[in-house]
Amino acid sequence: MADISGLTPGRTVLMQGNEAIARGALEAGVSFAAAYPGNPSSEILQTLADSAEGAGIYAEWSTNEKVALEAAAAASYCGLRAMASMKQNGVNVAQDFICNLTISGSGPGGLVLVTCDDPGAISSTNEEDARFIAKLADLPLLEPSTPAEALAMMKFAFDLSEDIENLVVVRAISRLSHTRSGVVPGELAVGRPRPAWDPKRVITTIPAVPRHQVMKDKLAEAGGLMAAGPFNSYGGPDNPELLIIASGSSVLYAAEAIDILGVGRRVGLLKLGCTWPLDEKLLRKHLAATERVLFAEEVDPFIEDHVKSLYAQHAPELGIKRFYGKASGHTPAIGELSPGRLAAAVSEVLELGHQAVDPGYLERAVQSAGAMAAPREVGFCPGCPHRASYWAMKQVLAVDGRAGLVSGDIGCYTMGVLSTGFNRVNSVHCMGSGLGISSGLGKLGRFGFDQPVISVVGDSTFFHAALPGIVNARWNQADYLLVVLDNSATAMTGFQPHPGTGQLASGQAGAQVDIEQVCRSLGLDCRVADPYDLAATSDALYDALQQKGLRVLILRRVCALVQGRSGGHPYRMEIDPELCRGDACGCHRFCSRVFKCPGLVFDQALGQAVIDEVTCVGCGVCAQICPAGAIKALAKDQEAAA
Amino acid sequence: MSTGQARSAAQEPPPTVLQRLLDEVITPGLCVACGTCLGLCPHLVFFDGQVAAPDACDLEQGRCYDLCPQVAGAGQGPREHEGVLGPVRAIHWARATAGELDGRVQYGGVVSALAALALEEGLVGEAVLTAAGARGAPAGVRVSDREGVLAAAGSIYAAAGTLRELNQALAEAADHSLLVVGLPCQARGAAKMAGHPDYPAAGRRLGMVIGLFCTMNLSARGLRAVLAEAGVEPPVLRADFPPPPAGVFQVTTAAGLSEIPLEKVYDAVLPGCKTCGDLTAETADLSVGAAEGEAGLNTVIVRTARGQELLERAVAAGVLELRRPAAASLEHLKEAAAGKRARAAAGEVDHG
Repeated sequence: MADISGLTPGRTVLMQGNEAIARGALEAGVSFAAAYPGNPSSEILQTLADSAEGAGIYAEWSTNEKVALEAAAAASYCGLRAMASMKQNGVNVAQDFICNLTISGSGPGGLVLVTCDDPGAISSTNEEDARFIAKLADLPLLEPSTPAEALAMMKFAFDLSEDIENLVVVRAISRLSHTRSGVVPGELAVGRPRPAWDPKRVITTIPAVPRHQVMKDKLAEAGGLMAAGPFNSYGGPDNPELLIIASGSSVLYAAEAIDILGVGRRVGLLKLGCTWPLDEKLLRKHLAATERVLFAEEVDPFIEDHVKSLYAQHAPELGIKRFYGKASGHTPAIGELSPGRLAAAVSEVLELGHQAVDPGYLERAVQSAGAMAAPREVGFCPGCPHRASYWAMKQVLAVDGRAGLVSGDIGCYTMGVLSTGFNRVNSVHCMGSGLGISSGLGKLGRFGFDQPVISVVGDSTFFHAALPGIVNARWNQADYLLVVLDNSATAMTGFQPHPGTGQLASGQAGAQVDIEQVCRSLGLDCRVADPYDLAATSDALYDALQQKGLRVLILRRVCALVQGRSGGHPYRMEIDPELCRGDACGCHRFCSRVFKCPGLVFDQALGQAVIDEVTCVGCGVCAQICPAGAIKALAKDQEAAA
Repeated sequence: MSTGQARSAAQEPPPTVLQRLLDEVITPGLCVACGTCLGLCPHLVFFDGQVAAPDACDLEQGRCYDLCPQVAGAGQGPREHEGVLGPVRAIHWARATAGELDGRVQYGGVVSALAALALEEGLVGEAVLTAAGARGAPAGVRVSDREGVLAAAGSIYAAAGTLRELNQALAEAADHSLLVVGLPCQARGAAKMAGHPDYPAAGRRLGMVIGLFCTMNLSARGLRAVLAEAGVEPPVLRADFPPPPAGVFQVTTAAGLSEIPLEKVYDAVLPGCKTCGDLTAETADLSVGAAEGEAGLNTVIVRTARGQELLERAVAAGVLELRRPAAASLEHLKEAAAGKRARAAAGEVDHG
């Protein structure tokens, strides 16, 4: 990411939503930022880390989101403005701390949690709506609609946090985090207090019940401050036929829908930037002015349900209303909203007969895609060591013959559930949960369970959430094989470093934490193999699978993309046309049909496999699977010497 | 119902050739890991004595299924018209004369002597034998000289996938003739290879099949478990089921000879062996086994002209000495062969 500390104030720049969030934090005078990477949030911390030197702040990748928020809270306690950013799943990880922090309160330095949700689960295992943390923990919630507003809201959030001495939540979504638009940066904050913690000050939740009341009072105070702020606004007629209440990117969708339909004189748009606590006075005023209300928000009916609840309280004076949204089926209960979907909802409510999308469009689109787009699904990159690891696992589990299972986890290797991983992974949930699942499976032997279990975990996930599961299995003597797929990067989210790499968010060297040593310190048998060596990896996997108890095999090979950026791979791959059996191969296009590395292509005209030289990185693995020995791995350095 | 009828009835694509092999042989546990299907394509893999197919193949026809000796069908059942020992031109007792074989070979050392001679005299260019592999599980090896033969001498009694090496040798662009030493199932597989219309290299180059008498074989993992339970430290140098009434499985390791009661071995017997009624490798050119009551001798059954030629050359070269077998011993061999046929028909294994 770019160093955004040196932007010229007042001069418009094109900025990604996440960069705008980072810039807003810098302008607010944030001193301490921590995060665990996760799409769509990752760019916030990396931008802050890359701007850290220029802005004089500290930014770290933490081992997980809970640790990140705890570390940020410490800075807040000492008087520094601090923040933690994470994706929606990370809020779950941090939730235990959040629900206690809200009772103890933050410190004199403002403390902001940024959650970047992923409606449509574009790069997630779920599309959870993390706004509920605000209600759960009685925290103020802000939802920006544009990058410019995100910048402004970050500054507001830090002020608000200091005003009420509690955490403030800012919620972005993928379409905001990763959109780019014009932003006018302001001045960076100057000066910061020297951090200190008065040793007489105790920050705790105890006594919890009276402090619970303090928490409620803080939220009420925040509500007043937010209502006085600039982030809720209304546009449209005084008495609209239909009132759309929208937040986040849905505000833009609603504006576009009104524009598409040409109903600006009939439909009003109430934009809510402050979505918890809701501004009841504002809502009552607008409810009184209309009979019909449509909600536009993602993903869950967060505003919808609370407005209905508010209406129930005030129905006698507000009169009869009709509500449209997720409960009525006018907006989708799952997935993303869009201008088209919202226009269709408005059209239905107002009986406009508008069709945002031609009825035949979908069918034509599918036909066109079928004719023009190659059928493919998400897959491992060319040269990805995970492909080789799953290949070996698939072979070994087949010859083992005991119906072995693979418990998956979160990272690129989650794709082991897909054909790129030979559909070899049997379950995936959240960070570290594969270890807990395996821990349970590993204790079922007494009931007659006799299937061997492999638990796969990535190197970054190992530090994030796997350790408690591993220790549990060690302690309770669960029987499974832990395979650490160590590609020396948090690859799925953009190659962020982690404790195993030893590199810090700043790019400088930190202290490296060795996975092997950690495992051995737990008393575990721990072996290491290179997945690029299929035979050795298969041997190691097979032998480890025959053992009992918790044992560890680390399959270590740096991510192919990271390797590509740091010197590349050693081979140039070539297929010998004399040896390739083409369609006559008993394997029937084994390399391109089964192994399926994108670097291998079956040339219909030639009737043989060929290497896609643009795509192939030269890892050499496919040379080991060709039954005819036709795929050759030619050492680049020897070729260069010749 | 024929395959075609089944297909039209269900309106489903026909099962792939690999699926048929899985359904009829591998999944029911009838695979004896002879290796006939291995090395033809990468779908069938062999590891620690197990044959498995990790991926789906999409071919309707293929040699893996056609060649498998465990697929029920023509040539599988006892060939009564040829007698209980199969086709027989002559039966001898024999022993190798070369002292270097002493202590390393089974019984009279005839197999090693014949294989070495065939290589030395250029009758074949390579021999496919079985030797100890990873984890003590035997595996096929290709040898081309006397030293190679001696290194593979002795039998280990576990599924070895040996014919994979034969398939791989036949896939290479070479013309030399090949000799293979194998169990009755492997001799059957080799015979199917040589006669398959889509396997001309096998018909052209498979020059000699030496079969070994076999009552039953063990899975590699099963053998390892048997040895572990009996406290025998691998690697196994030699192993044998001596003829009844011994009632033991003999294992020679670095520590010496161990005898494991047969009942301790049964769980490790390959279930596929129950369907095999062939004691003496009836489809081989020469079949070799124990000579009852004669520790230093082999029984040799000559079945084909080329088998006879090799044996005669060995005698002429002074590599082998022949003797007339004792009539009672032959009768016992026939009884044993008839017993294995009967047990296969009844679906039992020899429990002593």
